[in-house]
Amino acid sequence: MLAQLLVSSLTAGAVYALIALGFVLLHNGTGVVHFGYGDQVTFGAYLVLIAQNFVGVPFSAAIMMALLASMALGAAIYAVFMVPLRNASLLARLIATLAIGTALREWLRAFMGPNAWPFPFLLSPAPVEVGGLMLVPANLAIIGVVLVILAGLYLFFEKTLQGKAILAACENRTGASLIGVRVSRVFLVIWVVASLLATVAGILVAPLLTLSPDMGLIAIKGFTAAVLGGFSSLPGAVVGGLLLGVLEALTGAYISTALKDMISYAILIAVILVRPQGLFGGLALKKV
Amino acid sequence: MTGKTLLFAVTGIGLFFALPHMLADFQLFQVCLIAVTALIALGLTVVTGLAGQVSLAQAAFVGIGGYGAAILATRWGVPLWAGIPLSGIVAAMAGFVLGQVTLRVSGHYLALATMAVTAIVQLAFIHMDDITGGAAGMPVPSFEIGGRALTSGGELYYVIVPTTAVLFLIVGNIIRSRFGRAFAATRQSEIAVAAMGVDVLRYKALAFAGSAFLGAVGGGLLAPLASYLDPMQFGIPQSIYYMAIAVVGGLRSPAGAIIGAVVFILIPEFLQAFQSYLGLVFALLLLGFIVLWPNGLSGLIFRRPGARWWGGAAR
Amino acid sequence: MTAPLLSIQDIGVRFGGIVALDGINIDVEPGAIHAIIGPNGAGKSTLINVVTGIYTAGQGSVTFAGQTLNRLKPHDICRLGIARTFQNTELFGEMTALENVMIGAHRSGGYGPFVAATHGFGFAAAESRMRAEAMDLLELVGIAEDAAMLAGALPFGKQRRLELARALATRPRMLLLDEPAAGLRAAEIEALNNILLDLRARRGLTILLIDHVMALVLKISDRVTVLNFGRKIAEGLPAEVRANPDVIKAYLGERAANAIAS
Ligand SMILES: Nc1ncnc2c1ncn2[C@@H]1O[C@H](COP(=O)(O)OP(=O)(O)OP(=O)(O)O)[C@@H](O)[C@H]1O
Ligand SMILES: [Mg+2]
Repeated sequence: MLAQLLVSSLTAGAVYALIALGFVLLHNGTGVVHFGYGDQVTFGAYLVLIAQNFVGVPFSAAIMMALLASMALGAAIYAVFMVPLRNASLLARLIATLAIGTALREWLRAFMGPNAWPFPFLLSPAPVEVGGLMLVPANLAIIGVVLVILAGLYLFFEKTLQGKAILAACENRTGASLIGVRVSRVFLVIWVVASLLATVAGILVAPLLTLSPDMGLIAIKGFTAAVLGGFSSLPGAVVGGLLLGVLEALTGAYISTALKDMISYAILIAVILVRPQGLFGGLALKKV
Repeated sequence: MTGKTLLFAVTGIGLFFALPHMLADFQLFQVCLIAVTALIALGLTVVTGLAGQVSLAQAAFVGIGGYGAAILATRWGVPLWAGIPLSGIVAAMAGFVLGQVTLRVSGHYLALATMAVTAIVQLAFIHMDDITGGAAGMPVPSFEIGGRALTSGGELYYVIVPTTAVLFLIVGNIIRSRFGRAFAATRQSEIAVAAMGVDVLRYKALAFAGSAFLGAVGGGLLAPLASYLDPMQFGIPQSIYYMAIAVVGGLRSPAGAIIGAVVFILIPEFLQAFQSYLGLVFALLLLGFIVLWPNGLSGLIFRRPGARWWGGAAR
Repeated sequence: MTAPLLSIQDIGVRFGGIVALDGINIDVEPGAIHAIIGPNGAGKSTLINVVTGIYTAGQGSVTFAGQTLNRLKPHDICRLGIARTFQNTELFGEMTALENVMIGAHRSGGYGPFVAATHGFGFAAAESRMRAEAMDLLELVGIAEDAAMLAGALPFGKQRRLELARALATRPRMLLLDEPAAGLRAAEIEALNNILLDLRARRGLTILLIDHVMALVLKISDRVTVLNFGRKIAEGLPAEVRANPDVIKAYLGERAANAIAS
C-alpha cells in the first residue's frame, strides 16, 4: 500500500519538479523569478489545442507548432518586457512577471472560455501491473522526461563552454561581457529554452490535471519544490519536487485530504523561514 | 487648521451630503464599491509602496475581514458595526505575525510566502464548511445600526464613505509624521535606518499589520455590500487584482489607491458588452503601467515624485 | 588610566574561507579620536560592522561603556549612543537631505502614534523642533543650502557630509566613520578635520574613524591602529605608527601592487 502510494506520488512530484526546473533555469540564467511561469505552462498546453482545433492540423503537428510558438513567446517576453525592465526595481520586475502570467491566463479565459478542455494523453493512461504495483505509462513518462531534461541541462551547464559562459554571465554581467559573452543573447536563449520547457510541461501535465485557464496556479507548488531545492540548483529542484509529491501524498493518505493542499504551502512558508537558502544551499550576507 | 484644509473639509462634507441627492442608488453602490476597494488598495500603499514589502496576502486579509464579521454576526450575534473593526484587529494581529517573516526574507521570497498565506487562508475558508459554508460560500447578515438595517448602496453609503475617509486621513497623517518617514526610510535602506535606532523588523511588521487592518475593514464593509461571501473571491488572483489597482493608481501615494479604485470599478461600466475581456484588460493595464509608468496614474498626475507624500513633514 | 569607552576584544570574523578579522583587540579611550588604517580588504569596514551589529563575530566580544554589545541588534546599539556612517553611503535617496537628518532624530521626536495619526496637540511644535535641529546639523556640516535637495541627487562629497549630519542627529556619544575623507578634495578634508575636532571639543564625542589617506588621520588622531589582512600589525601614536617598518611595508607593498595593476 505504502509502496503504491509512493510510486503514484512520484508523478505529482515529477510535475512539480518539471515546473521547478523552469524556474531555476530562468533564475540562474537571467536572475528573474518568473511568477507567471505556471501560466506559461498552461498556455503551452492550450497552444496545442489551438493548433489542433483552429488551425486544423493533426495532433503531432499541433505539438510541433505549439513548441515553436512557445519559443517565439519566450523571445517576445524577453524582448518586450524584460529588456526594458532590466534596470528596474526588483518589485517592478516581480509585478511584471505576475502581470505577464495574469495576462496569459485572462487571454485564455477570454478567448478559450473559462471551462476545462479535454487533452489527449501522449501515452496510455491504462495502468500496468508490475510486481504488485500499478504503474501508469503516461505518468512514468513524465518522470522519465524530467530526468532527461535534468540530465540535459546539467550536462549543458556543467560540461559545455557555452553553459559555463551562461553561468558566468549571470554571476557577473560586466565581467562576462568583458570576456566576450554576449549577455543579451544568452538571456534570450534562456527565455526561449525555459518557455519551451514550459510547453513540454504543459503537454505532459494537461491530461493529468484539468486543463483550464487556472491550471497554472499549481505553479506555486513548483515554487515550493524549487525553494526546497535551494532555488539555484537544478538537481535540487528535482529532488524538491519529488519530495514535495511524496509529502503531499503521505499527508493526504494518513492525515486528511483537506490538509493535502495546505501542506505544500505550509512547507513553502516553513522552508522560507527556517532555511531560506533551501535544503542544500549556503547563505550570503550583504556587504556594506 | 489652515485655510486650505478648512476649504477641503467643507467641500468634502458638502459633497458627501450632496451626492445622495445627485446619484441613483446603483451609482451610490458604486461609490461604496470604489471606497472599499480604495481602502483595500490603501493597505498595499502602506506595506508595499511606503514600507517596500511586497504583499500578495491582501485578498486573504479581505477574506478574514468579510468572513470574520459575517461569522461573528451569524454565530454570536455580534452586529457588523462591531464585528468589522474586531475582525480588522484580528487581521492586524495576523498581519503583525506575518510581518515577522520579513526578518528572514524579502523580495521574491516574501512574495512567495505571502502568496502561500493567501492560498492557506482560502483553503481554510473552503474546508471549514461548518462555519464558512465551504465552497458554496455564505450569505452575509445585513448591517444594522440603531435598529435599522442598511441594505442598499444608498444606505451603506453613510457608513462606508465616512469610514473610508477617516482611515485615509489617518494614514495620510501618519505618512506625514516621523513614523511615516521611518517607514519610507526602511524601504530605502534597512541597514541605514537600523543604524539610526529604528527597529526595522517592528516597523515592517507594523506595516503588515496596518495593511491587514485596512484590507480586513475593507473586506468587512465589502461583505454587506455584496451580501454574499464566495471563497473564490479571496485567492491569489484577487491579491494580484488588488496589487494591480494599487500599481495602476500609483503605489506611491494614498491618492493612487483612490484613483486605481475608480479606474478598476468604472472600467466594467464602459466595457459592458465585453465582460469576458475584463480580466485581460486589467492584466494588460497592470503590465503596461509597471513597464511604462511604474509610478502609476498618481505619478503621472502629480508630476513631482510622490516622495512628497512620505518624506514630507507637514509644512 | 581611564576605562576605555569602546573595547574590542579578540574579535574574529570569517566569510566562508576568508578570514576578515583575526583576533583583533582595540580600546578606544573616551574623548579620543582613534583611527584605523590599513590597505584594501584589511577588515576595517568589517570591524565597524561588527561593532554596530550588522555582522556577527565568530569569536570575541565588544563592550561599550561597560555593556556587552555582542547579542544586540543594530538599532539597540544605536540607542546606546553609537552612530555611524557607511563607506559607500547608505542615504535614503528618495528623501530630501533635511528628511534624512530628521530620520536620525526619529527617536527624539517627542510625539506618539496617536498624535501622529491625528496631527493633534503638539504635533506641529514637535515637527518644527525636529526640523530646526536637523537644519542646525546641516549647517554644522556645511550643506544647509541643499536641505531641500533629494539626497540621491547630491554630489558624493555632500552625501558624505549628509551622512555625518544624520549620524549626529541620533545624539550619539561615539561616532564610527567609515572612510569619511574618501573622494574629498584637500580643502574639504581640511573642513572635515575641523568639524571632527570641533565635535569632540564641544560635544565630548569619541570618534573612531577609518581612513585610507594617512595624512588626514595622522593630523587629527590621538591614536592609530593599523590592520592588514585581518590582523593588527601596529598601534600607537601617529608618529610611532608612521615610522613602523611593518606599516611601511604594508602600504608600499600595496602601492607597488597598484602601480603594476594600473
Ligand atoms: N558581506 C561580506 N561577504 C563576504 N565577504 C566579505 C563581506 N564583507 C567583507 N568581506 C570580505 O572581508 C574582507 C575584509 O573586508 P572589509 O570590507 O572589512 O575591508 P576594508 O578594510 O574595509 O577594505 P576597503 O579599504 O576596501 O574598504 C575582504 O576580503 C572582503 O571581501
Ligand atoms: Mg571598507
